[in-house]
Amino acid sequence: MSGQEFDVRAVTDAKAAQESGVAHAEELLAFADAAIGDDVLATAGARQALLEAMGPEAVVDTAAVAANFQRMVRIADGSGIPLDTPLELISAGVREDLELDELASEHVRPGGGAWKRVVGRVLSPVLRRALQLTRGPRAGA
Amino acid sequence: MSAPFDYADAGIPVRSDLADAYRDVWARIARPGGFFTGAERIAIVEEARRARSCALCRERKEALSPESVGRQHDAHPRLSVSAVEAIHRITTDPGRLSRSWFERTTGDELSVPQYVELLGVLVASISIDAFHRAMGFTLEPLPEPVAGEPDGYQATGARMESAYVPMLPANGARGAEADLWDGSRTANVVRAMTLIPDSVRMLKRLSAAQYLQMHEVANPAATGGRAIDRAQIELVAGRVSALSECFY
Repeated sequence: MSGQEFDVRAVTDAKAAQESGVAHAEELLAFADAAIGDDVLATAGARQALLEAMGPEAVVDTAAVAANFQRMVRIADGSGIPLDTPLELISAGVREDLELDELASEHVRPGGGAWKRVVGRVLSPVLRRALQLTRGPRAGA
Repeated sequence: MSAPFDYADAGIPVRSDLADAYRDVWARIARPGGFFTGAERIAIVEEARRARSCALCRERKEALSPESVGRQHDAHPRLSVSAVEAIHRITTDPGRLSRSWFERTTGDELSVPQYVELLGVLVASISIDAFHRAMGFTLEPLPEPVAGEPDGYQATGARMESAYVPMLPANGARGAEADLWDGSRTANVVRAMTLIPDSVRMLKRLSAAQYLQMHEVANPAATGGRAIDRAQIELVAGRVSALSECFY
């Protein structure tokens, strides 16, 4: 973010999370994992670990972000919206790195294959800047 | 009886804008909407909570295909079987929803505008309950319904594209819907529920408190003044989305 680089595999890979460059990634991911599950004790443990690592305000903000994205997934899947075209191109490389295409619901699974991944990787920096300039929101908005 | 979403005794400081947003959305849910009464909208929240312990949903979730489990849910006293089916599937197994499921579920019992309104109420309540569960808080009691009839309002400019439901076009935030977004473009996930504009208003209200204001999202330096930085915010967002099998 803001010129810093992070390993996006941290989202799906525990080892990568520890080496991602994101501060307290391990505690954040453990809490996020627990927050979407049903294990009350696991959630309490992960919450306490995050509290000790980052403080109470960070626990509240992390819980809020996790809650927000439990809503966004259901809007996307429940309405059958496709990926926005700029987002599809920008995210092509990230999707490949994380093997996210394997997770795609029927309605958002992108077509185009290899050429889109190549075009996406080439155009990604330009499109990111263009989106930023036009203030186009994405999934979490 | 304390006010809704009173976190004074929570044992941890909760931002007042979160409580304000939750109170506002809870009050919106209790009011009559376009196609459901207040009591029916509250029943949607009640049914969503019930879905988390539904044996049929668990059986379907474990099946190779949810359609291979033949039985159906019981109707709620205020909701049709189709509405209950939509609530349970969206709550417990959203990653395997499909166009054919949508077409089977909507129809005479659950019209498409009703479906969009149901989706808006459902996802708002899910995210509020999710915050409470993550924080170890008791779930907020359901609100008292506000009397009155649905007004039948739907956005007249909504059109079918490739989604399951009609949506306003990217330049369609005008007239009565001018407050939904600024300018002539926005993301599909914002347009998704525009057939029922109040669903988008609840989405905006919650997202601003739980994540970021809509205009901040594309700015990678924006943090909304949170105690976690943007990389940490996006790490959590990405993780939850990936674990929920959310591709979008």
